[in-house]
Amino acid sequence: MTRSSRIVIVFAVAATIAVVATNWAGNEITVAGLSGMLIAGLALGSIYAVSATGMVVVYSTTGVFNFAQGAIGMYWAFLYWELRVNRNWPAPLALLVVVGLLAPAFGVVIDRLLMRRLQNRPLALQLMVTVGLMLALMGIAAAQWRSDRGRGIQPFFGTGGFDIGPIVITYHRLITVLVAALIAVSLRVLLHRARIGVAMRAVVDDRSLAALNGARPGTVSAVAWALGSSLAAVAGILIAPESRLVVEVLTLVVVDAFAAAAVGRLRSLPFTFAGAILLGVGQQFISRYLRFEDGFVNMAQALPTILLFVVVLAMPQARIEARRIGTRTAHHPTRLTHPFEALVGMTALFIVVAAWSGSWSNVGVNRGVTAMVTAIIMLSIVPLTGWAGQVSFAPLAFAGVGAVTFMHVAGDTGAWWGLLVAAAVTAPVGALMALPAVRLQSLYLALASVAFARGFELLFFTQPAIIDPTISGRQFVDLDLFGWQVGGNSRSYLLVLTGLFGALVVGLVGLRRSRFGRRWVAMADSEAAAATLGISLVETKVAVFAVSAAIAGFGGALLGIQAGTVTPRDFGLLIGLPIVLLLVVGGVSLPAAALFGGVNTILFIIVKDTWDLSILQTLEVLGPGFMAIALVARPSGAVAEIGRAFAPLLPWRADARHAFAADRRARRLPEIGRLGLSEPFTPDAVVELDRRLGVIGDVTPVGGYVTPISGGATR
Amino acid sequence: MTADPVLELSGIRAGYGPIEVLHGCDLTVGPSQVVALLGPNGAGKTTTLAVASGQIAPTAGTIALCGRNVTGVRSDALARAGVCLVPEGRGVFPNLTVTENLRMATFSGTSLSEIEERAYTQFPALRDRRSQTAGTLSGGEQQMLAMSRALATDPALVMLDELSMGLAPLIVEELYGRVAQLAADGVSILIVEQFAPAVLGVADSAAIMVHGRIVEQGDPGDIADHLTAAYLAID
Repeated sequence: MTRSSRIVIVFAVAATIAVVATNWAGNEITVAGLSGMLIAGLALGSIYAVSATGMVVVYSTTGVFNFAQGAIGMYWAFLYWELRVNRNWPAPLALLVVVGLLAPAFGVVIDRLLMRRLQNRPLALQLMVTVGLMLALMGIAAAQWRSDRGRGIQPFFGTGGFDIGPIVITYHRLITVLVAALIAVSLRVLLHRARIGVAMRAVVDDRSLAALNGARPGTVSAVAWALGSSLAAVAGILIAPESRLVVEVLTLVVVDAFAAAAVGRLRSLPFTFAGAILLGVGQQFISRYLRFEDGFVNMAQALPTILLFVVVLAMPQARIEARRIGTRTAHHPTRLTHPFEALVGMTALFIVVAAWSGSWSNVGVNRGVTAMVTAIIMLSIVPLTGWAGQVSFAPLAFAGVGAVTFMHVAGDTGAWWGLLVAAAVTAPVGALMALPAVRLQSLYLALASVAFARGFELLFFTQPAIIDPTISGRQFVDLDLFGWQVGGNSRSYLLVLTGLFGALVVGLVGLRRSRFGRRWVAMADSEAAAATLGISLVETKVAVFAVSAAIAGFGGALLGIQAGTVTPRDFGLLIGLPIVLLLVVGGVSLPAAALFGGVNTILFIIVKDTWDLSILQTLEVLGPGFMAIALVARPSGAVAEIGRAFAPLLPWRADARHAFAADRRARRLPEIGRLGLSEPFTPDAVVELDRRLGVIGDVTPVGGYVTPISGGATR
Repeated sequence: MTADPVLELSGIRAGYGPIEVLHGCDLTVGPSQVVALLGPNGAGKTTTLAVASGQIAPTAGTIALCGRNVTGVRSDALARAGVCLVPEGRGVFPNLTVTENLRMATFSGTSLSEIEERAYTQFPALRDRRSQTAGTLSGGEQQMLAMSRALATDPALVMLDELSMGLAPLIVEELYGRVAQLAADGVSILIVEQFAPAVLGVADSAAIMVHGRIVEQGDPGDIADHLTAAYLAID
């Protein structure tokens, strides 16, 4: 253990003691009370452990971190309810079908269709696709099981139990703990005694060597995903009676599992179990013995978030990874947009909006404002994720910080400079979030951003001093632009937003071409190379986080002006995820993709309002979810693809026409003969092939050999 | 009619993404033959082994094993079919115990008890370290463990990449002694080595590879004379 991690741990323990001492509820400590707390905590921790274990097994054998673990468990819990309660199947049969049959089958299917294609791809892509899966499952579940009625799963054997002295143990809790213990033991046996388990661990060490030994890589990852899905199902079914059968609640169990998995550094199963038990007991302790008031009522719920943050802080410095260039780097466009092009495009956008919006109804204008505000918040992700390769799921939390800042400094006057103050205050908050995680791998940074967003949702925005729950009127008055009053839902506000968006896009395009932009891209391509060039990774990362947060804060203030009032729920983690996904679907490194994302956000709402179909009711999560899953096939994003197709039409893009023509030539290649079939072709054909491909140099074939090409050779 | 060669690469073009490393490589390993593949850094020797073991699919050319076309067959299937590549560096799983490493070799179809018996007979030092993780073994022991797979699973073709790298001369000598024994049992072997003297003693045939092509293949004695010229690119 390093000195800094020791300091963090000592500090965390001291803080815990201080918090406990100041918030002691004054309940009497009895043996029955304490043991009751321990049993309940142990049961809760067991569930976290099962969920986190599934995540760790999948991550360590396939390298894909599964954000959807909680959502998968949520879906199976609902399906179990459907079979057990709604259709009245006997419990063992329903369990067998869900946990033993459907869940593993689902794991195998997503492995085949999605996850296998994600191995060794950029982290941002992996995370976006699994978050997309999470939202898609949430959307499907919410459409399938409408929230118009309450649902509940009875604990196993009801509320029955037995007493040991003063201690009451329900059968459900006993079963929960036993199941977790059984899973721990079976996993231990599987991973150490069975050959497939040894092969799973071997894959962690060296994937290609495992294949050289003859282990089937497909089988290993299929088993891992099947196991992950089944463990998610077990966790979901066990936790449903203890909490509520609500889509969001069960999905967010994943955040608790993240914290447990992070204690095990995403690798060690015993430490993951320990972290999970600590969490469960800690949460029970808080809800039984401590009393938090006002803004801190969510403390028990926020404990996993806090633990996740502390673990990330205490983790030792990661080795700078020197990975092979080209295998994991992000997709960069081949050509950078010129600021002049951006200026022309944004002017055109402004003219179109100005000319068209005159005929829009109030609802239409309001939707236009929503699209533009969302687009501005999305712009904050472009430099951070698109250029610097750092994944953050917290843009909406930063937007919230900007909104409440504006509300406090200019909410009652609407002064324009309040927007700048909002950006200026949010920037250091972004830097602060980045600081603990910049030393770590980018995955931990993404986890820290989840913890941050969730922590702000539960503990910061709930403070009466931040958002006063007693105020009923508007918290934001109209924007005051040098004496010109602009209402949050007026057409003028839409035009102001379009202008601001255009200015930000032009500025970002310019920034990308500056030395800052180059540094961020260099760091994303290779941290090791950037470090050896003398680029300080910490400074660079902190700078890009600050810039990103400032944009998000600016956008958040604009969001507040539109809404008039804000509540803590408006800036929740789950609400922010579609924003991140839609930008990535557009093309994460392109500022123009923010427009695509903003417009798509309202398109989903329009579609939902136009057609009254039950599956469309959850389109605002389902749509981004499925679009993000499609990134597996088209990782560069929609705007990039559209741009590639349309660029040759622009008169000044001779380079695009050349590339297009070369692409056409390449597609016509099969015409030159029987290429790709298992028929021989002659040296003349090779020369012709080289000529068409534009290969120059020593390509003269060796004297008269005849080479059959088999179809399998060109995969 | 003569038997088909165990491994026959013809006209192989292969590389990493847009970078082509092998520009039409032809190489044959006959039954019970020991072929040494020599050449300077970056000539494409390791890539040749990666192609022959199915880790990289060639963009052109064919790979034939015992006369059967196996182009595009993946490495795990080839491994189960009896192609054994001991890769560069230490071909062991550092976090698995010695026994578990040997367990991984059972995918070839040989039972664990048989593999353990053969491995511990060949390298008695490993027996005492059975339950130790492979990462804690010495370099020589790790290479012995990696070699055990080649020795114990009865492969049709063994490919060894830079066996001598980073090891003491005495251990290199011992390891090549095992290679010679393996060759005497009639196993076909393809050895890649930068340090030529270690290998020319056991090889029946040697090939020099430069810039992604085999420039010369023949008797080890003759090849040894031409080696310096090839390394220094003197014609």
